[in-house]
Amino acid sequence: MNTNQKIGTTFLTSRMRQFSVAVLSVTFGISMYICMNSFMSGVNNEQTKMAFTAMPHINIYNELKTAPNYASDNPATNSTIRMVSNERSINYTEGIRNVDGLREGLENISQISSIAAQLNQNVFLRNGVSKESASLSGIEPIMEDQMFNTSQYLIEGKLEDLNQRSNAIILGTGLAQKIGAGTGDNITVSTSDGVDKSFKIVGLIETGAAGADRSRAIVSIQTARQLFSKNRSYATDLMINIDDFDEAVEVAEQISQLTTYKVEPWQEGNGQLDSANLLRNIIAISVSLAIIIVAGFGIYNIMNMTVNEKMKEIAILKAIGFNGNDVIEIFLIQSVIIGFLGGITGLVLGHIMISIIDQIPFQIGPMESLPVSISPYDYILAFLFGIIITFLAGFLPARSASKVDPVAILRG
Amino acid sequence: MKALSVNHIDKHFHEPVDFHVLKDISFDIDRGEFVSIIGKSGSGKSTLLYLLSTLDTDYEGSIQIAGEDVTKMSQNQLARFRNEHIGFVFQFHFLIPDLSVLDNITLPAQKLGKKPKEEIVHEAMELIKLLDIEGQESKKASRISGGQQQRVAIARALINAPSIIMGDEPTGNLDTRNTQIVFDTFRQIAAERGQTIIAVTHDEEFANNCDRIIELSDGYLV
Repeated sequence: MNTNQKIGTTFLTSRMRQFSVAVLSVTFGISMYICMNSFMSGVNNEQTKMAFTAMPHINIYNELKTAPNYASDNPATNSTIRMVSNERSINYTEGIRNVDGLREGLENISQISSIAAQLNQNVFLRNGVSKESASLSGIEPIMEDQMFNTSQYLIEGKLEDLNQRSNAIILGTGLAQKIGAGTGDNITVSTSDGVDKSFKIVGLIETGAAGADRSRAIVSIQTARQLFSKNRSYATDLMINIDDFDEAVEVAEQISQLTTYKVEPWQEGNGQLDSANLLRNIIAISVSLAIIIVAGFGIYNIMNMTVNEKMKEIAILKAIGFNGNDVIEIFLIQSVIIGFLGGITGLVLGHIMISIIDQIPFQIGPMESLPVSISPYDYILAFLFGIIITFLAGFLPARSASKVDPVAILRG
Repeated sequence: MKALSVNHIDKHFHEPVDFHVLKDISFDIDRGEFVSIIGKSGSGKSTLLYLLSTLDTDYEGSIQIAGEDVTKMSQNQLARFRNEHIGFVFQFHFLIPDLSVLDNITLPAQKLGKKPKEEIVHEAMELIKLLDIEGQESKKASRISGGQQQRVAIARALINAPSIIMGDEPTGNLDTRNTQIVFDTFRQIAAERGQTIIAVTHDEEFANNCDRIIELSDGYLV
């Protein structure tokens, strides 16, 4: 420790009460920063996780392309006559024909954690006189379970039963209620092509999203292909989950090189989710920064008082050969110590507070306690902000201390 | 050899109205001289001392100390120069109350940083012995008596063996006994170490015992 630092710490420790108040204000600011941000990112994560219970990170499907504008094409010669009759978009191909081929291509992309194919089609369900439209999903039970954890929403039956028999079907609870059927009953499925097939209900599913529960019917993808007379490798959607859903856009870009089908990362279809996350983050950061800045004003105030109180000492130090920069160092070291101590205790207190918040019961939806996401990044940022703010708050009084005119003070 | 030479100094105060404090002052002081500056209140004697001390740089004319022209130095150079060449003793001792006596004394030497810590402490202990304040060195500066504090201030002024020691009423706040101790110390230093001493004083007895008296009256040298 050099002479300036020694004088600085002596000034600081001679006023323990102000010193501890200053440290506490930094402690409070930093712990609030950590709490706010950990809580907010916990909420964000929970929201996103909930959204991903029914939505893949990346979806590949056959998009209905907008019609090319033939009328604007340049005619080959002046004598060409252009005839446009009844321009419209027609989907010449339906769905993805060769899912297996596409899958092989995707094996090279390391970020992909799971792939599941679905065949989705609207059908009619009939049980005696009651008739209801439903959206039928042909799924690969094992892959689907891996991706969405579907089996945890089954309140009756097992997802694997779909593979056991070719006429097994699982219905959403709302849908089963509407057509008045339960597990074990037989119902008839009619397709838009006029094909009827009899199915046996082997289970019921309840996801909590009432709309989906009222319209959802699940069969195995083979059964669905058979029902709609499609080939062995047909699907309407190929869904992909990756390790880090924030990388969906980049991975989707990579996949779109391999296929002509539409590759859609989740952000593209769910702007509201993305923007809500961003808005919550902005709120968290601005509130917690405001708290730290208020703490900074507190330190500014305290350091100003210290400088005023130590006028005589500053004058004497200058008289015996300390220059302006020495005086700045003497006072700046005090606020750096305040910032550092406050920062450390703030990190500890913040960590304790967030651990407590993590335990507070909050039993709504799939949550059991308040959602919290602890990331080292938040801790580092909180500490940095604390140090920067205290440094600035200490610098202004230190600079005014360095400008004290010793003659005016020593002459009295 | 000249310890200090002052050439044609003029000094004005600008606030609240322009006031010509020092008028064309010139004098030299030799090495090892013990000089006192006297004059009535408002004669400008303290002002002159603060000019000589390099703390106040707002003047016309020039001052040389220990052969160096301090008039042209920057504030940082002056701080360094004061640290090495000038020791201060004020009327009110002006110690750093939260530091120990020893730390107060060694502060200028630690700042100068030319000697290792042990040597500085050793020299400080000798000064403590010389000034008869033994046994107080680890106490806080605010916990010793006024006379002792003034002697600590003198020890601090001496620690870097400066060529000039300046005192602004160094005995103004002391009783007869302590005044005598301070005076004798100054005398001894001037004689034995060849250090120049310049003191502003009201005390006629103090002034009469000096080698030389510089008297100011209404800003003129008498």
